[in-house]
Amino acid sequence: MRGPTTVEPVPGRTDELIINMGPQHPATHGVLKVVIGVEGERITRAVPHIGFLHRNHEKIEEARTYPQIITYTDRMDYVSGLQNELPFILAVEDLLGVEVPPRAKLIRTIFFELFRIASHLVWLGTGMLDLGAITPFLYTFRDREMILEITEKTAGARMLPNYFTFGGVRRDVHPDFFKDVAHFLDFFETRLPDYYALVLDSPVFQARAVGVGVLSRERAIARGASGPVIRASGVAYDVRKAEPYDAYPELEFEVPTRPEGDVFARFWVRFKEMEESVKIIRQALEKTPKTGPYKGKVPPRVKPKPGARYRAVEISRGHLGTYVVSDGSERPLRVKHRSPSFANLQLIPDLFVGARFADAIAILSSLDPVFGEVDR
Amino acid sequence: MSLFAEVWEAVKAVGAGLGAVNKRISEPAVTEFYPYKKPEIPPVSVQFLALIQNEDGTDRCVACLQCERVCPSQVITIERKRNPEGKGFVLERFDLDFANCMHCANCVEACPVSAIVTVGAFEHAVYDINLLKADKAMLDHIGHEAKTWYSPKFGVEIRTPDGRIEKAPPEMQPGGLAELLAEGEGGEAS
Amino acid sequence: MSRMPLPADRLVQPRLVGYDPTHPRPWLERIAYTLFFSALWVMVILAYGAVPALFRHYGWLSTTAGFLIYAAVEAVLAFLLAAVVALILIVVLRKYLGKVQERVGPMHYGPAGVFQTVFDALKLLGKEDFAPKRVDWLIFRLAPAIVFVSAFLLMVALPVAGGWVMADLNVGLLYIVAVSTLGAYGVVLGGLSQGNKWGLLGGFRAGAQLVSYEVPLALALLSVGVYSGSLRLSDVVEHQYGLWHVVPLFLSFLVYLVASIAELKATPFDLPEAESELVAGYNTEYSGMSFAFFFLAEFVELFLLPGFMVVLFFGGWHGPLFGLEPGSFAAGVLQSLYFLVKVAVWVWIFLWIRATLPRFRDDQLMDLAWKGLLPLALVGLLVAAFLRMFLEVL
Ligand code: SF4
Ligand code: SF4
Repeated sequence: MRGPTTVEPVPGRTDELIINMGPQHPATHGVLKVVIGVEGERITRAVPHIGFLHRNHEKIEEARTYPQIITYTDRMDYVSGLQNELPFILAVEDLLGVEVPPRAKLIRTIFFELFRIASHLVWLGTGMLDLGAITPFLYTFRDREMILEITEKTAGARMLPNYFTFGGVRRDVHPDFFKDVAHFLDFFETRLPDYYALVLDSPVFQARAVGVGVLSRERAIARGASGPVIRASGVAYDVRKAEPYDAYPELEFEVPTRPEGDVFARFWVRFKEMEESVKIIRQALEKTPKTGPYKGKVPPRVKPKPGARYRAVEISRGHLGTYVVSDGSERPLRVKHRSPSFANLQLIPDLFVGARFADAIAILSSLDPVFGEVDR
Repeated sequence: MSLFAEVWEAVKAVGAGLGAVNKRISEPAVTEFYPYKKPEIPPVSVQFLALIQNEDGTDRCVACLQCERVCPSQVITIERKRNPEGKGFVLERFDLDFANCMHCANCVEACPVSAIVTVGAFEHAVYDINLLKADKAMLDHIGHEAKTWYSPKFGVEIRTPDGRIEKAPPEMQPGGLAELLAEGEGGEAS
Repeated sequence: MSRMPLPADRLVQPRLVGYDPTHPRPWLERIAYTLFFSALWVMVILAYGAVPALFRHYGWLSTTAGFLIYAAVEAVLAFLLAAVVALILIVVLRKYLGKVQERVGPMHYGPAGVFQTVFDALKLLGKEDFAPKRVDWLIFRLAPAIVFVSAFLLMVALPVAGGWVMADLNVGLLYIVAVSTLGAYGVVLGGLSQGNKWGLLGGFRAGAQLVSYEVPLALALLSVGVYSGSLRLSDVVEHQYGLWHVVPLFLSFLVYLVASIAELKATPFDLPEAESELVAGYNTEYSGMSFAFFFLAEFVELFLLPGFMVVLFFGGWHGPLFGLEPGSFAAGVLQSLYFLVKVAVWVWIFLWIRATLPRFRDDQLMDLAWKGLLPLALVGLLVAAFLRMFLEVL
């Protein structure tokens, strides 16, 4: 069912105030605009408006060759940059029939999970900033900085590294890589208790989060939510388990779920995911040989055979899928991205209406949308 | 009684939070003092791109148009003409619009002779965006200024104080160059 | 195609200003902070002790003209004191937040950035004080003044040492309640007059919050009054010889602590200006000096509310006098130092809380005020009354 697309003042109704929240509001994580009607502090109507960051990704990608597109996919969810490259690369690898060496798969997995931690740290910091706590923001960004430095050493850029490529990764990891990552993990594990103390265990946070913005299991499935949002509603759906890719089949990890579906559950799931990521990276580090091939044999001109392929991965925000249609030339006929934030954002009218205004901010930060990926 | 227990739990949790904050007071600040202390960025880091000229002042670039072809944002414009003496081509124009460059280093990777490279310089800030449209003179200039640069083919190279170009020692090299170094010195495209 | 200028002459070179943070000079910073604190101390001595003593000594107060001059000088001194307090506290807040957040805080402009606030104030002075078209002009302009004046007036009743108080009111406790409620008007009117929806919401929230927290605050003050048997603040302090009020009146102290954080509109009760929710809340449309007055008032209150807490619960200026005769000028100087140190500790705790906690929601805030603090304050009042009864009986 389509919801209303605008919020018009009701004639004769004077107790409702219509507010444009965004696109320049401090808590909209970029450029979301939500037109909301409030009665005092209670939200009566909410209509999200998106598209302020539209950059025409899918159309541009039709005019680019396959290796060039990888650069563009990075720019979708810029907070977890590297993760976005993978679904497209997997799809093209399938079309090309390229063998990926196991070491390359493991390296990719390590980076993938590092960026999950990085992205969740950004979410944690900005989410707590929305809830009024300034300090976790600086702590999380400081920890994320270490991940970005590790990435820069190997891949040459911090947020949008353009590092994965067909058949593996572009260059071998830096000699210090394994040491750095292990050091980061040790460091991060000493930091996690602080985050628990400042966020999850904080009674003020619990007062703000428990029972707020409850998303039922059915509603979450109906709206196509994915990622931590759906797992916090009790659905153990994780692409890493459902359709394993790269090195995930060899690695042991759990999919944390929680049945409540409130803001607290979404925060909790992301916390546990960071812990799971640490576990995954540790296993992968053990398995990865120090030297070896990092890239499979790929023809110099990437020309997949005609056909179509859909591959999905579990990025920090959920199910990111890419559908690639090839006509056998150097450029794809069509590339379509299925982005998780976009689907999760559809929950805004459901969750906002009836909530208090301050809750709306908490709900929005628990959905953790990134607008590069919503608008594409 | 449960109310008191709850309140006590809450007070303890707040106390834990306060403790977590206060214990950081003695930790050193991680602030980077940028203009006072310039950060050292790894050689593979994609910041400025540069055209490298050989020691004798000729272009390394052979005008093969590979970089123009792979650039995803299509900011490289090359015009070439046939080399009057000998075979191959020479550059007439090489423009690179840093304002639209995505710093993806696809061009660096594609270059067969390591003519276009990443250099460690990162201070591109200008007041007028048009000044970011670099032409060949500027790219050459950046290349001349650079002390070290990186390209996937040759790894990190350094310019010695007396103007020679040498391959950097292995400890300066990023990963994946072990096999390259094992091949020995064969890289100089002169 | 024209040749581009070469990079060396066209790139923006970062400007190196002021203090080089790569060479920290901790001793210089310590000296600067010590000077700051002594400046505050000197201001307090001047405003509360020296000038009144001077006027009294020469008997100038008995003439009308002398009294008027005295009042004018005191007003100027109080304003300067307010300015110094705000200047210091802003820099302390920033530096403290910087320290606990693993960054350095302000660092240019003076050793370790201690003059940052001065430059901030200059910047705000230099800015256009802009009023949008839709504002209710008179109220819009009046609101910052009300807020600042109420904070300023509170300073009058603050006893900093034995006999050192600008006006030793016999209804001091009531005066605190009355004047601090006045500040709420300024915030609410400022929010409502600016024709901005965020400001409106911020004004609503401020009204609800400040008015509700006045009630437990007043009850906590009342229990102090009941226990000490006087509404005069200097009597309250005198009453604490032997035992600070924080021990018998612990419940009232807790109520006062929470309610005063709420009065300050500091995290976790910063709803009226909740930056991530209401953009800037009640001061959304203020700029330039009008905004600076809100800011100034906030930091003066950040000094005054812990100040009154020390007066009411922590024995005010009490401390070892080392043989100095109580009531003498030297004793006053020492006592004001004790007072300032106690206040500094409490200001630090307030800042610490501000750095740690997230924000409450508006309804939880109300719940806390009416369901948590009000009963607690009443119990505290009861305790105070019973203890008083025992004291009378004994
Ligand atoms: S770095 Fe990328 S965008 Fe920039 S010029 Fe090279 S290929 Fe083009
Ligand atoms: S790829 Fe290298 S050699 Fe070819 S045109 Fe570009 S810079 Fe010159």
